[in-house]
Amino acid sequence: MFPAGTSSEPRTRITLGEFIGLTIAGLALGAIYAIAASGLVVTYTTSGIFNFAHGAIGMVMAFVYWQLRVEQHWSAPLALFVALLLVAPAIGLIIQTTLIRRLNPNDTGMALVVTLAVMVALMGIAFTLWPQTQGRLLPAFYGPNAHLSIGGQLITYEELISIGLAVATAVGLRLFFYNTRLGISMRGVVDDRQLMAMNGRSPAMLSALSWAIGAALGGLAGILTASTYSLDIINLTLLVLNSFAAAMLGRLRNLILTFVGAIVLGLLDAYVVGYLKLTGWLVHLRPVVPTLFLFVVLLALPAVHLRSGTAAIAKAIRIPAGARSLGNGVALVVLAVVVAPFLHGTVLGNVNAGVALGIGALSIVLLCGYGGYVSLAQYAFFGFGAWLFSEVGHGGNPVGLLVAAAAGAVLGVIVALPALRLRGLELALSTLAFGQLAYYMFFLQPEVMGRSDLAIPRLHLPGLSLESGDRNLIFLTVVFALASAGVLALRRSRFGRILVASKDSQVAVATLGLNLRLSKILLFALATALATFGGALYGSTQRLVTADNFQYVSSLFIVLIVYVYGVSTPGAALAGGLSLAIAPLLAVHIPVRFQAVTYFMTGFGAFVLLGRPTGIIPAASEWLHDKLPRRVLHEPAVGTVEVSRAAASDA
Amino acid sequence: MTALDNVSIGAEGGVVTGLIGPNGAGKTTLFNVITGLQSPSSGRVSFDGDDVTGLSVHRRAQLGIARTFQRLELFGSMTVRENVQTAAEICELWSRKETPARTRTEEILDRVGLRAVADAPAHTLPTGLARLTELGRALATSPRLLLLDEPGSGLDSAESGEFAALLADLASEGAAILLVEHDMDLVMQACAQIHVLDFGVHIASGAPDHIRSDAEVRRAYLGEAVEA
Repeated sequence: MFPAGTSSEPRTRITLGEFIGLTIAGLALGAIYAIAASGLVVTYTTSGIFNFAHGAIGMVMAFVYWQLRVEQHWSAPLALFVALLLVAPAIGLIIQTTLIRRLNPNDTGMALVVTLAVMVALMGIAFTLWPQTQGRLLPAFYGPNAHLSIGGQLITYEELISIGLAVATAVGLRLFFYNTRLGISMRGVVDDRQLMAMNGRSPAMLSALSWAIGAALGGLAGILTASTYSLDIINLTLLVLNSFAAAMLGRLRNLILTFVGAIVLGLLDAYVVGYLKLTGWLVHLRPVVPTLFLFVVLLALPAVHLRSGTAAIAKAIRIPAGARSLGNGVALVVLAVVVAPFLHGTVLGNVNAGVALGIGALSIVLLCGYGGYVSLAQYAFFGFGAWLFSEVGHGGNPVGLLVAAAAGAVLGVIVALPALRLRGLELALSTLAFGQLAYYMFFLQPEVMGRSDLAIPRLHLPGLSLESGDRNLIFLTVVFALASAGVLALRRSRFGRILVASKDSQVAVATLGLNLRLSKILLFALATALATFGGALYGSTQRLVTADNFQYVSSLFIVLIVYVYGVSTPGAALAGGLSLAIAPLLAVHIPVRFQAVTYFMTGFGAFVLLGRPTGIIPAASEWLHDKLPRRVLHEPAVGTVEVSRAAASDA
Repeated sequence: MTALDNVSIGAEGGVVTGLIGPNGAGKTTLFNVITGLQSPSSGRVSFDGDDVTGLSVHRRAQLGIARTFQRLELFGSMTVRENVQTAAEICELWSRKETPARTRTEEILDRVGLRAVADAPAHTLPTGLARLTELGRALATSPRLLLLDEPGSGLDSAESGEFAALLADLASEGAAILLVEHDMDLVMQACAQIHVLDFGVHIASGAPDHIRSDAEVRRAYLGEAVEA
């Protein structure tokens, strides 16, 4: 598929001096990863919550530092002091006390979603405060020409600073965790919270402290990255993925292995750049080096034992009966028939895209809502489905949809395999890594959709033309109604009960004889098939797509928005798809500065979950269920009051 | 740290075997080792004469080992009935059953005494009923070895008597029952054979009368309980 071209030619031989230079550059990058990853480990071991927003905090701190250093002309030491020892710990403390404290570490799904939301919200804030239309540069600490020379190789002071700071971090953390009472307490918290409480240390206080330390370390890594590379919101934020790969080597708990992982990762990056010719289909290899490293680590790690006593109490959601869900579906289609003629142009196009995305997002209901596994690669599946439909669905042949779904099932199995033996957290991160891999190594390839728009035929059913937008809308709505009825039927089936039981207690289902790996694979195959099917419809609706349509950050948006509406409710998939598709239309009407609508909507929206963990739609329907009959009953009474008041004023 | 040191315990079919000892004696760890949730550093678990030490958790369950949990592992978002029914349905995946899962569920609800709360969400149950639900769930797999981890806590003395009768009834059908329990009345009433663990060491075993009079047991466990 990808012509090898000239990419396979070996590069000219590298001298020993160049090798040393590469090694030092790799060590310097590894040092930054090490600082970031150690912050992640500190937060995780003490608070029990994996901080998805770790990179985002680092990113914000890099911009705060830029603001102080460049805009306010502060000296570097003062700006660093304020950013790292005042602002960063404050951000960590605020996040911990307002959000994290309310999470149950055993509820991995909710913990993931909320920290993910923090990440997206911080990105939204950064896009608003520091619009990317303006280029920003952080001055090097010692200027570009300050360097040492070893064996003819230039080593910049910046590199030495990074390495020195990483060593200082390692020594400092080691001393803190093993030689201070506070540090020893922090190590103990996760293992036994009650024991810690009895020793007079509040786990909440220690957890808050760990978030403050983690934020400072994340900030340091962010500033170092930004001063070495560039001030880019997305790249700085995704530092979390790279440092996670390093921390994973130590299972997020072992600082020494984390440092080893970080150094290996840094060296890999340097040698890949130095030794491989990054042209042709390898042109985007560099950003996915940590991803590939992560997959290798996940495959090599020993399987995690199931642990008892970790069941999180989930609230039951009313599952509509078959007749009721069918009724909802019919009502939805009627609504589409009524509304379709009134929609035109861009609005109609975006609504169509939203419904198609909603079909794909039903996979999130299956996977996350019923199964409890957070997958962060849905847009990669959408993109794969769209691409496949363009390849096999000639003339809009509906068989192409089936091929896309079947291929999706296979893809789902492949994606689930590496993290199958591991916990929900690793699964989520490996799916995010997969999404990144798919974007750089597949969608961005010129042969796929990297260079020019990929044309995708509109679906053509025998005897039914879907060329006009309004017809397509009605068709897509019918498909969504059928698919969501299918999803609900699955939930009511034996498999559905087994899924929900597995979500409530993995230990219990395993001791009842369920092969969890097998049921996980089945679930992933099913959900991914639905996602690629939806993606094929999305592509066929859009007609032209580019790699930008399937950016991996979008996968975060869609998961968050479906959680906001209610991840166990098929209606949330539609609401989520529509919200994401319609948000860009709003952007036209608001000042450029506030264009990060999607970030705000999904990031801040997800904080609703802290109060209403089941999401907006179930909460609203419960509210209606409670209120409606009563209001109907009370109506005459209100009338009576009106009459008597009127009578009183007469008198 | 060694949670279990050279402990060798057997459970015969048709009788209830008790396993007692103070907190931290290693009783739950033993259950975890038997069911495969924890691997022993040495030693082996055999079931019906076959070595099952290397088998996964679900494979052991499929051989007929079922358990309840001291720290509850209910399907919290489901009703009591769905808890039992889902267990019966999981069982249908690996074993042929004459009667459909729904019918067996209703039988178990009656037998364990959960009829009145069948439609209650499991996470709202008081401890005693929650433990019975876990028992009902375990029974849905028709186990040949049933491991019960403190099923009696949360039961009052009348319920405890009924529970002892239920255990005797279950054992009479041929299953081996291993009972970890702090309620000594229940243990003495229900068990034919009792093993005593103390800090991972197997310190005594015998019939209830023998255990009651054993000096070391009194010192390690019963004595404390009496003084408290």
